[in-house]
Amino acid sequence: MLDHVLIWINGRRHEIRGREAFRSLSDYLRRELGFVGTKIVCSEGDCGACTVLVGRVAADGSRLVYRPVDSCIQFLFQLDGTHVVTVEGLGGEADPSPVQQAMIEHHGSQCGYCTPGFVVAMTGLLEERDHLDDTAMRCGLTGNLCRCTGYSPILEAGRLVDVSQHERIEQRFPSNTMIGENERRRRESIEVTAAWDDERHTFISPPDLEAALKAIDAHLQATLVAGATDIGVRINKSLAVPSIILDLNRMEELAEARIENDELVLGARANWTTIADLCRDAIPEFHKIISVFGAPQIRHVGTIGGNIANASPIADSLPFLHVMEAVLELRSVHDAREVNINDFYKGYKKFDLRPGELISRIRVPLPTEEELLKLYKVSRRRDLDIACFTAAIRLRLDGETISRAAIAFGAVGPTVIRARKTEAFLQGREFTEQTMREAGKIAVTEITPISDVRGSAEYRYHLTRNILTKFWYETVTTTAIAGV
Amino acid sequence: MPSVGKSVPHDAALGHVTGQAPYLDDLRPLAGELIVGFVGSPVAAGELLGIDFAAAQAVPGVIACFTAADVPGRNMFGVITHDEPFLADGKLLYRGQPVVLIAAENAAALERARKLVCIEYRESTPILDVEESIRQKKFIGPLRRIARGDVNTTLAEAPHRLRGTFTSGGQEQFYLESQAAIAYPGEQGQIVVHSSTQNPTEIQALVAEMLGVGQHEVVCICKRMGGAFGGKESQAAIPAMMAALVASKTGRSARVIYNKDDDMRVTGKRHAYLSKWEVGFDDNGRIAALRVAYYSNGGISTDLSLAVMERTLLHTDNCYFLPVVELTGQVCFTNLPSNTAFRGFGGPQAMVVIENILQAIAEHRGLDAFDVRMRNLYGVGERNVTPYGQLFDRNHLPEIYATLAARSHYRTRRQEVTTFNRESRTHIRGLAMTGVKFGISFTTKFLNQGNALIHVYTDGTVQVSTGATEMGQGVNVKIRQLVADEFGIDVGRVMLMPTSTEKNINTSPTAASAGTDLNGAAAVKACREIKRRLRQFAAGRLADAAAGLTPSASHIQFREGHVRDSRRPQQRIEFGQLCAEARRERVDLGARGFYATPGVDFNRETGQGTPFFYFTQGAAVAEVLIDRFTGELSVPRVDLLIDIGRSLNPGVDHGQITGGFIQGMGWVTTEALIYDAKGELLSHSPTTYKIPAITDVPPIFNVATFENNDNTRNVYRSKAVGEPPLMLGIAVWAAARNALAYFSHEASTALRLPATGEELLRCITLGETELQQSLESVEAARSAGGIIATK
Repeated sequence: MLDHVLIWINGRRHEIRGREAFRSLSDYLRRELGFVGTKIVCSEGDCGACTVLVGRVAADGSRLVYRPVDSCIQFLFQLDGTHVVTVEGLGGEADPSPVQQAMIEHHGSQCGYCTPGFVVAMTGLLEERDHLDDTAMRCGLTGNLCRCTGYSPILEAGRLVDVSQHERIEQRFPSNTMIGENERRRRESIEVTAAWDDERHTFISPPDLEAALKAIDAHLQATLVAGATDIGVRINKSLAVPSIILDLNRMEELAEARIENDELVLGARANWTTIADLCRDAIPEFHKIISVFGAPQIRHVGTIGGNIANASPIADSLPFLHVMEAVLELRSVHDAREVNINDFYKGYKKFDLRPGELISRIRVPLPTEEELLKLYKVSRRRDLDIACFTAAIRLRLDGETISRAAIAFGAVGPTVIRARKTEAFLQGREFTEQTMREAGKIAVTEITPISDVRGSAEYRYHLTRNILTKFWYETVTTTAIAGV
Repeated sequence: MPSVGKSVPHDAALGHVTGQAPYLDDLRPLAGELIVGFVGSPVAAGELLGIDFAAAQAVPGVIACFTAADVPGRNMFGVITHDEPFLADGKLLYRGQPVVLIAAENAAALERARKLVCIEYRESTPILDVEESIRQKKFIGPLRRIARGDVNTTLAEAPHRLRGTFTSGGQEQFYLESQAAIAYPGEQGQIVVHSSTQNPTEIQALVAEMLGVGQHEVVCICKRMGGAFGGKESQAAIPAMMAALVASKTGRSARVIYNKDDDMRVTGKRHAYLSKWEVGFDDNGRIAALRVAYYSNGGISTDLSLAVMERTLLHTDNCYFLPVVELTGQVCFTNLPSNTAFRGFGGPQAMVVIENILQAIAEHRGLDAFDVRMRNLYGVGERNVTPYGQLFDRNHLPEIYATLAARSHYRTRRQEVTTFNRESRTHIRGLAMTGVKFGISFTTKFLNQGNALIHVYTDGTVQVSTGATEMGQGVNVKIRQLVADEFGIDVGRVMLMPTSTEKNINTSPTAASAGTDLNGAAAVKACREIKRRLRQFAAGRLADAAAGLTPSASHIQFREGHVRDSRRPQQRIEFGQLCAEARRERVDLGARGFYATPGVDFNRETGQGTPFFYFTQGAAVAEVLIDRFTGELSVPRVDLLIDIGRSLNPGVDHGQITGGFIQGMGWVTTEALIYDAKGELLSHSPTTYKIPAITDVPPIFNVATFENNDNTRNVYRSKAVGEPPLMLGIAVWAAARNALAYFSHEASTALRLPATGEELLRCITLGETELQQSLESVEAARSAGGIIATK
């Protein structure tokens, strides 16, 4: 049993003990270490000013893989065995990196407050590719907001980085020592307890699934944390740290994502970046939705298990999982069982998970070739926004006849809703615009939306009705009708 | 080599990209420094009956709590009128209005204490929108009016008439660095305030008044801001006063850093407007007469609202000649944080009205809106007097519009858009060109002044201090370039110092796009004074009786780091060496420059005058694509052309143009401020308030400047660039309206601002009875309400 978290920051080793372990990474960087290049704006992972690179040991143990993450919603207890690189680690005033140099020369900074975040995120992109083009940056920088430049000068800077002089993080910070020390301690549990404001706080970080299940069983009220992209926001905004935290980041298991027997098999800890890579060719529709799920900084740490267990009716992945009849594997130290996701949710943020259980894996049948599948997310802004409305429509056609329909809507009720009446209506009917228009009228009777900051109930009714007709236009092959 | 005209990097670019340029919250705390937070009003309107902070004060680590009763000087403040309380006193005026200050030794203690403060109040019904304040006649300041000709008669006689009501929403500045201030006591009761402010002089004066001390006892310093956009012109005052009060009372350094949620909840924004208009025009769409009555949502106090409204009235014409016109403007009181400056400062709210009217005229007459705009453009040599009587000379608009139409292939693309819309059942496209003619100068005459202090050292390096504050716009590097070129030295030998009321006094806010115009011109004047003295000295130093070269100051030149006599340029002295020698001969190497914009004045009682020194002009063509089923909008292409005179720094100016445009595009599309019925802002963080992201930048975004050398009035023939591009974003809104016009006239007429997906779908589905009927049956059948999580 270890009593501390071990983190390297810009190449230096830090043992974190006691209350420190419960601090957010950004707070620790700024207040404790004086790395104030990491800026805090929103404290909720929605602006990217706090972006840092977090290096974790690759699955094969050979190297550290660096990904940009939002340090405001990462906590030190999640980061054992990682190497954190901040903007200060990339280059100083005497030796700016090629990315920094390009941002200077091409006026990529104006007020400068978002700039370190952009520099880090761009450097992160260069960990995976040899140069930056517009496509890579438009996909890779959606998590960084800039209010001054209108982004054009940043895109220009990225295009003109002198990549011949660029150093990968591994070149700047050799990782042998870090990997070696990690290897020596990775089989051990970590447990840290601290007390403040008259409350005791504990976090436990088990090294494997077996230990995790035991820990859950011993602490039934524990809060499970993987990516912390949701709970991190809640901690920051309420300033209330859960009393018992079970960190799942050091487990080896449950991070896998593969296709097996015509099923997606996803460990609950699989993050969205991993799942997106897997789905790019296998299920392009799901890949499309994942690409507007948060931002890269969120997708690198946010997990599918977290998205399911957070149980929000606006969770981006859920309509898809519902229409595909995804199966959740639930494990406890005593038992294992399976639940169809359509039977899992019992009400707003209520679900069928017994004390001591965790979601271990998700199995999703792949859509077959004769099926039509479309996924929708409507939000005020396309990227880095929370849905105002989501939908999944899956139809099986027998000639021109709909032989089976599965339709799910999100953000229009306390849970994601399967539109059973609409599905029943469609079954056996001819797949025509008229049929889908009629179906839309039925669909609106199955939802119970409210008005909130993301949209009015009326808008959600209109979207629910229209989306079925939109589906028809998008799936009929005559592009001349669709026009786009 | 001259540096003016070159894309010299931003003054602090190296610090920005390496994280080494400190903002206020990056500074290490001074020993004993206190963190200051506040507890705000729980209601938008009511009476403050009592405050109990005993429990808060008892929290270990909490040093003190303060209320309005603790303010030693004046609690009321304001830029134009002192009608806003610093801390709530008697009345509660808006949600989150600061009531109690808490000063603590650490953040945890502060947070615990915040939860323990009890505010006793009697709630009353707040006024939250302009309509309600009009109904109750709760106004701020007088009705303002600018008029020309007989509007009633001309409207009555016009061949065609249209009328309408237009609403535009507010906009959050969304500077990334939230409001921030650090204050610490100096000797003998003095206070030093570091503030993230566009207006150090104002902070100095307000802190002095609040503390009841002399202005000479307060120093305000601003090194840089992490963005401002007008949001720190007046709104930086409250946090600065908070820090100053705590520092004064406790004798310790005090730090105030708003978090983003609080910042968005309690600070003012761009004014939402309600505008009622009526226009008369001929068969070709040429305007004969226009009447607009503007009502702005002012919030609880005057702040800058009267000046904002003034600029609205002065920009209704935008690029178009209005022969007969009557414009009125009234600021309305609401129980919201006092609305304030935001890039454009009332200009956008006016320009979108006239651009909307031109779209409406075109639709009514079945004309292309571009042709209608061309027919209404200000003329050259005729039709060139503004409604407020200023001659609009050096008008480049006809050429800009024509050039941009050609470069953007407007006519061809109009055909393509029309064809597309005829064929597509899933999407509609829209295309529009709008323009900008933005008046440069503060409309309040006295603010058109600037001063600069230049110190030349004996190694030939230079420190420059001006009243300009650096918020990212690049004013520092531009001034460095001007000073470097004046002395003929490398720009690296010129340093811009933090803006401080110790160095530059009685300065104007860095606003109205005039930061470089005023402070740059003042710096140039100071340089020329020093050069005058150095010329005298150098003339003697370079004279050579034997060679027949008599001392002649007028032949002395400052070039390439050297000083020379143009009659014998090969005999030159290094600039630093000359400075060192000059000092030994007791030549003063420091000077203060003062600049006042000549010839500007405006009589707001008559609505007539010459308020502007010159106009920045431009136009943009935007194309949009709208999903008919969801209302989702994208902007595939934008072309813009803007006349910014002779650019001091093309790289900096290009960034101002792209940044301003995208900010304007945000205002007209995704940036929606959503309040609940109690006056609480619901969209108070980037999770719910959506500024454009990188993917919203049009994939085709052609930005060009209009080559122009004729702005002889302004420093180095440059033109102000800060605000004007924002208003080119209106092209995106006009394109959205144009798209809806292909759908139905009812849809396009109904479009409000911002054109969110929801708003667009509302317009598209207007008049549909089908869904309404089915919804009624849903409502009847529905038992339990749905719940939607906020995150």
